[in-house]
Amino acid sequence: MTSGLNVNIAGVEFVNPIMTASGCCGYGEELTDFFPLSRLGALVTKTITIEPRLGHPPPRTAETASGMLNAIGLANVGVDRFISEKIPFLEKQKTRVIVNVGGKTIREYAEVAARLNDYGRVDMIELNLGCPNVSQGGMEFGTDPRMTERTVREVKKVFARPVIAKLTPNVTDITRIALAAEQGGADALSLINSVVGMTVDVDTWRPTLTFNRGGLTGPAIKPIALARVYAVYERCRLPLIGVGGISTYRDVLEFFLCGATAVQVGTALFVEPDAPLRIIKGLADYIKTKKIDHVSEMVGKVRKY
Amino acid sequence: MTKLTCEDTFLIKRRDLKNNYFSYVFRPYSRAVRCKPGNFVHIRLASSDVYFRRAMSVASVNPDREEIEIIFKIFGRGTALLAGCRRHAPVNILGPLGNAFSFPRKNEKAIIVGGGVGFPPLLFLASEMIRKGYPPGDIEFFYGGRRSGEIVERVRIRRLGVNLRPVTDDGSYGRKGLVTEAVEDYVRKHAGERMRLYGCGPAAMLKAMDDLGMKYHLPGQLSLEAPMPCGIGVCLGCVVPLRKGGHARVCRDGPVFNIGEVLL
Ligand SMILES: Cc1cc2nc3c(=O)[nH]c(=O)nc-3n(C[C@H](O)[C@H](O)[C@H](O)COP(=O)(O)OP(=O)(O)OC[C@H]3O[C@@H](n4cnc5c(N)ncnc54)[C@H](O)[C@@H]3O)c2cc1C
Ligand SMILES: Cc1cc2nc3c(=O)[nH]c(=O)nc-3n(C[C@H](O)[C@H](O)[C@H](O)COP(=O)(O)O)c2cc1C
Ligand code: FES
Repeated sequence: MTSGLNVNIAGVEFVNPIMTASGCCGYGEELTDFFPLSRLGALVTKTITIEPRLGHPPPRTAETASGMLNAIGLANVGVDRFISEKIPFLEKQKTRVIVNVGGKTIREYAEVAARLNDYGRVDMIELNLGCPNVSQGGMEFGTDPRMTERTVREVKKVFARPVIAKLTPNVTDITRIALAAEQGGADALSLINSVVGMTVDVDTWRPTLTFNRGGLTGPAIKPIALARVYAVYERCRLPLIGVGGISTYRDVLEFFLCGATAVQVGTALFVEPDAPLRIIKGLADYIKTKKIDHVSEMVGKVRKY
Repeated sequence: MTKLTCEDTFLIKRRDLKNNYFSYVFRPYSRAVRCKPGNFVHIRLASSDVYFRRAMSVASVNPDREEIEIIFKIFGRGTALLAGCRRHAPVNILGPLGNAFSFPRKNEKAIIVGGGVGFPPLLFLASEMIRKGYPPGDIEFFYGGRRSGEIVERVRIRRLGVNLRPVTDDGSYGRKGLVTEAVEDYVRKHAGERMRLYGCGPAAMLKAMDDLGMKYHLPGQLSLEAPMPCGIGVCLGCVVPLRKGGHARVCRDGPVFNIGEVLL
């Protein structure tokens, strides 16, 4: 463990503040080709739902300026196969495991959470309250403060360890949703999920994705994510996990300064699967040269005009 | 050494094959020795409008010199950017990725079918088969293109000793028509012989190959393409539907699939 990088969120210790974002690292197996997962602060799994899902028909991703659109549609193995096939692998990994949970109804969220509660390997769960890529569920949970609060509350009743609420940026005022999640008993917030977007093929006049629209991610959304993290930091006391467009340690520093305690790296993994290693090293070097004892000293310290 | 890394290497040999085709050799690439026919590498072309890497099949390797070769055609933004690389330019390569072709049995004829820029992995396949002792005369190398200029590296393919069978849409080189028609004629004429099909090319060609394999009960493999955000199996963007149901990731479960496996 590099000193000065460990963080504590809701009583859970992480060796460093770098996590891999949901949907961008599968269930962890593939990344072990590049580095031992113990190097990560945490791995956040693809969203798990009660039933397996195939997702939308391809094409379901498209390249955009400095990023991408995706409408994968929450393709996942379902909670049963996650438990039987993926948990045994995760048992052997010396990293924190955060399982991202989704559902079409509050009950489905709670059911998945209740199943996962029995597996101590699941250190935390993260509720996907804002997936733009499903017609039912996902988005409406994260755009309505009351639904957000109720979903978090019901999940907290059945899951004994900390619960993170992952927020969508596709709302008018994200701080209202953040406060609702806090009311519901969330232990931390991660923000942001992808930003609704669309691209069209002008030769065929068809949207590039079969779902017509998708979620924009990658470097293109970093400024949006930073502004949201900062807005929530000013109004809400919960620890924040910053997500959106991070590919270098300097991106991470911006998130710290805007109020994030930890961060997740998503789309950047597609281009540089070993990005987390470079980022961790960059952070360690930065605090050393700047004579900062601990990354937490930077949280929220942006010198606002 | 971890199984995979993003490795910095250099473009040390750049050949213009004309008609927008190029052959690039990269060195030093420490994982050259691990590349098998069918594998691809994922090439970084950092620019703001080409965010993803681009997949390129390995066309040949020289493990002793730590070299790999790719052959590509300018198609869109990414390949145009790649074509602009000068000799000695640094290039970041991730790989080798994906699965590999399985070699034919000794008593089977190899019917190799490349369409357009689908031929590079098949060139590697044929070379490796021959290197392992497979008789070059038992390899039928069908190669389809729009016109004569699109059948590149002919001399090199012939030099392997295989039977090169060029087919062009306009008949400007080799037989006129679709490459799969030529393959079907061959298969019909040699009915009863043991054959194994290998294909890589445009979607319509792969579909015709798949139909042909099933119609004549011939085993074989097809190498597929899909837009690949990650190339390593984590994004689920490159999936194709399987005949038995469910999806497979072209990048990790493929790109090589058995005939009949994928709903093309
Ligand atoms: C396993 C594999 C091996 C390949 N091997 C070779 C090779 O040896 N030689 C060669 O010339 N090309 C090869 N390709 C295709 C190559 O990776 C490029 O994707 C393709 O040429 C288009 O790239 P571009 O950037 O020029 O086009 P762009 O204009 O940037 O892309 C055009 C559009 O096609 C999409 N797209 C990108 N990649 C693909 C793809 N692979 N299939 C379908 N659509 C795509 C883009 O998202 C974009 O919307 C291979 C692809 C795969 C998957
Ligand atoms: C292909 C893809 C799939 C994703 N799947 C999920 C998902 O299943 N659940 C979720 O909460 N977020 C998902 N996300 C969103 C990411 O976790 C993250 O919030 C978003 O991509 C922004 O971060 P980035 O710019 O670093 O990628 C996905 C993103 C991408 C690109
Ligand atoms: S390209 Fe990401 S899973 Fe295949």
